Amino acid sequence: MTRRLKVLGLLAVLMLQALLVSAEQRFPPPEFENGYAIPTASTPAARQLWLQYVDAGVFLAALGIAVWMIYRKRSRRGLFWLSLFSLAYFGFYRKGCICPIGSPQNVVYGLFNPDYSVPVTVLLFCFAPIVVALFAGRAFCAGVCPQGALQDFLLIKPVKVPPWLEQSLSVVPFIFLGAGLIYAGTGTGFVICRYDPFVPFFRLSGGAFIVAIGAVFLLTGMFVGRAYCRFLCPYGGLLRLASLASKWRVRVTPDTCTQCRLCEQSCPFGAMREPTPANLDQNTLGVERRRLGWLIALLPVLVAAGGWGGSKFSAAAAQLHPTVALAERYVRQQKNPVEYGLMTPEALSLQRAEESPEAILAAAAALRHRFDLACALFGGWIGLVIGVKLIALSVRTRRTDFEPDQGACFACARCFTACPNERVRLGWMPAAEQPTTP
Amino acid sequence: MTASPYHRSLVLTAWVAGAFCLLLCGVMIFEHFAAATNDPWKSPQLLTLKEELAAEPKNGDLPMEIRLLDQKFREKFRRRLALDKTGGWLLLGGMVVLVLAAGKAAALTKATPFPGPKTDAAEQATKLALRARAGLVVVAVLVAGALAIVTLDNTSVLPTNDAGWQKLTGKESVEAAPVEAPPALAEFQTNWPRFRGWDGSGVSTQTNTGTNLLWQSPIPLPGHGSPVVWGDHVFISGGTEAKREVYCYHATDGKLLWQRAVENVPGSPPKTQGVPEDTTYAAPTVATDGRRAYAFFANGDLAALNFDGSIAWTKYLGPLKNSYGFATSLAIWGTNLLFQLDQGESAGEGSKLISFQAATGRVVWERSRPVPASWATPVVGMASGKTQIITLANPWVIAYTVGDGQELWRAQLLEGEVVPSPVLAGDLVVLFNPSSKMFALRTDGAGDVTQTGVAWTHDENVPDITSPVSSGPLVFTVTSIGTVTCCQTSDGKKVWDKNLDTETQASPGIAGDRLFILGTGGTLVQLAAGREFREIGRCQIPDKFFASPAFVGGQIFLRGMTNLYCLGPAAVPKQP
Repeated sequence: MTRRLKVLGLLAVLMLQALLVSAEQRFPPPEFENGYAIPTASTPAARQLWLQYVDAGVFLAALGIAVWMIYRKRSRRGLFWLSLFSLAYFGFYRKGCICPIGSPQNVVYGLFNPDYSVPVTVLLFCFAPIVVALFAGRAFCAGVCPQGALQDFLLIKPVKVPPWLEQSLSVVPFIFLGAGLIYAGTGTGFVICRYDPFVPFFRLSGGAFIVAIGAVFLLTGMFVGRAYCRFLCPYGGLLRLASLASKWRVRVTPDTCTQCRLCEQSCPFGAMREPTPANLDQNTLGVERRRLGWLIALLPVLVAAGGWGGSKFSAAAAQLHPTVALAERYVRQQKNPVEYGLMTPEALSLQRAEESPEAILAAAAALRHRFDLACALFGGWIGLVIGVKLIALSVRTRRTDFEPDQGACFACARCFTACPNERVRLGWMPAAEQPTTP
Repeated sequence: MTASPYHRSLVLTAWVAGAFCLLLCGVMIFEHFAAATNDPWKSPQLLTLKEELAAEPKNGDLPMEIRLLDQKFREKFRRRLALDKTGGWLLLGGMVVLVLAAGKAAALTKATPFPGPKTDAAEQATKLALRARAGLVVVAVLVAGALAIVTLDNTSVLPTNDAGWQKLTGKESVEAAPVEAPPALAEFQTNWPRFRGWDGSGVSTQTNTGTNLLWQSPIPLPGHGSPVVWGDHVFISGGTEAKREVYCYHATDGKLLWQRAVENVPGSPPKTQGVPEDTTYAAPTVATDGRRAYAFFANGDLAALNFDGSIAWTKYLGPLKNSYGFATSLAIWGTNLLFQLDQGESAGEGSKLISFQAATGRVVWERSRPVPASWATPVVGMASGKTQIITLANPWVIAYTVGDGQELWRAQLLEGEVVPSPVLAGDLVVLFNPSSKMFALRTDGAGDVTQTGVAWTHDENVPDITSPVSSGPLVFTVTSIGTVTCCQTSDGKKVWDKNLDTETQASPGIAGDRLFILGTGGTLVQLAAGREFREIGRCQIPDKFFASPAFVGGQIFLRGMTNLYCLGPAAVPKQP
């Protein structure tokens, strides 16, 4: 029966993908000849300021309720309903914008482009979850993020991702974050938003490629809990770092851990960590210490190599910028003129750019210089992320109880009711039935 | 285990919801592919109509046919969008039911966990770390490989170093380009190399003793640009939406020496930017330095032509944002071709002043300007011990250095649409706030001289189209209705005024001691350029005139709408 359900789910997701592909086509703009300027389309439409403050208020309230549900009420049910609300409000009603996931791009864009001032509400969406994470972990992921909520609701039959693979892939969000920030800083665009696989579902509209990616994530999400959040979400990477320093920690048991491993079974996100062995033999310790030393020494080498490699990527990376792409197209057309018929796309692009070729080339030159630096930094960042993760994997953390990994835990509260002590506290189970500490 | 009725109903619900989604999706996929094969942009019917229109631009029925077909496509497209949206919500509803039912059914069959004790935790932790490090290396290799593939797959044709960029953008250092000696200043002064003479003042030191028609020669294409003269060569430009040309006539007999089309300018779109018919594509006056003639057209094409009519270089500076069509003329000074490119409805829309190396077209310097579109031509000349480029546009009068385009001073004096150009009168620059006030500004200031730089103002009979002209001690203006006013240059006090009853759009000029005013209807009035009004004579030329006269070698060159005319002392009229 479960197999048939899986097949059914697969079909449904593929169908959803096909639906959204159909919305990809865009009608070409009319060829006005009377000087009419085609207005810039924006999705969603600009929102009135007071409504933006309402959104910010709802957002802060939802964050507060999430923290209350996790630490005071310890209620999975409460978080479920909060997630449902967030999915409806921030997802389908606000169409996934603005959301904290893309907001670091606004901040970086504002830093490098003096003409753009980051709105207060954007700053709030960007930094409030991080500040909360410094005190209370990933409360945003637990009940406020619509992307996370959507994946949570689709999770029908969770399977466990091998821990080594989970650890290896945990660097990807940081690499994606780096890419998003260099493209934002250079004014190319907000790639984190552009390649957000769930926004097309919230808007019921999107390009074929990103819809296909979204469908893959939804399909995967039926069996792998929050695949996007764990292995791609760049903002999740930031929250993971902030949570490592969080003041309060999510505790599975309200009492003493009986090490029954029921909580480990209940976590669909592979975030539960088991107690570490009390003692290790000296040989093993010696090998591990030497390895750690080598890896620390390797870190600057990785950063430098990454920076060098990144700088080689700049010419290709810059082509995503519309001005550089236009300059490329212009120069190609000059070198190898191609007849397109009535109006060349190059001429049409240049005409709509409302800039002379010289101005476009000059702007492209300045952008390419900017990309040279940005890509070198990006490469260095990749090297740093890989190096730090290698070091982190070689450092032993001492644990005596089963407890969630502070960075990886989404604070979803599923593990709470899996703990016999919690069930006793809630009165769901008589105290006599709880297992004893081994 | 026997399934309960509740479980069975959940499974059944999931199947029904799945079938519903599948059916709906099938319909939408069909719609999608049907729409994709009927791309309106590639509709043979639409493309055929467009080609027909390109071949027959005057065919009045074709645009309507295209519009109707376009509307039909758009309506169809909107219907499909509406269907997609409805289908999307229905599918979303079906998905919710499917997921809820399937999830609940899966939960009912979920086995109770019963984990056993773990005895090899240490060994597993070591293995995990080892595998994770190996996995991390694989991830790093994959990322590097992906970036390498992207890099190799997206080769760039753009330069990789500063020298390459400078070559591509035409901003190579001037030192690197071959240096061409400029003509001597005296050569500029004895010719008429730009709009209103060598310095844009409209004054010629040569005496004209007659206004007899020496020759006239037809002009192939219309334009409002004035004639410029260098030696035996008279240059004008003309243009339409279909074609832009430069013409060179022989100054002695009016023979058309050559006409050259300016076309295939790199970057210039095949579909020409439209301009109002009254302005024409050739409103900017040609400039020449005795080596080449330089012409700019309202579609954004700039061309340098050798004296034999061959093209020396071309540039596309458009598209231009100018609601009335571009009309500012080129200025030439030494080896620099100066171009005031003001555009847009407000400041910050790309207005700039550019200095090109005349020989090569390379940009020597470029300054952005905080102004919208204007139609005035800058005056370039020596004032207060410095060679200054003085520009007008709403609201700023700004002076720049010729060498590097540094701003010298500015004054906020102008409003509305600025058409008249300024003139230098000693160390003063005389200019109009159109139809409102005449200003004389001192040229020795620095920074914002709005409060400190104005020497005098005059607010009677201020023109809105024509530019002033100064004989030195006197300044003359003429309004569109033909009222001539004479003021003292020293203090702006009116000396005399007189209505000539001739509508005028051409700027007046002075040759020797005579003031020439050319009416739109072809009346050329000669006045004494002195403190008393005295009409010396009039003559009538049967044409319409908007361009300003050029005075060279005792001759007057006039550009009418149909012909180029040459007047002079010898009454030997002849047809070329």
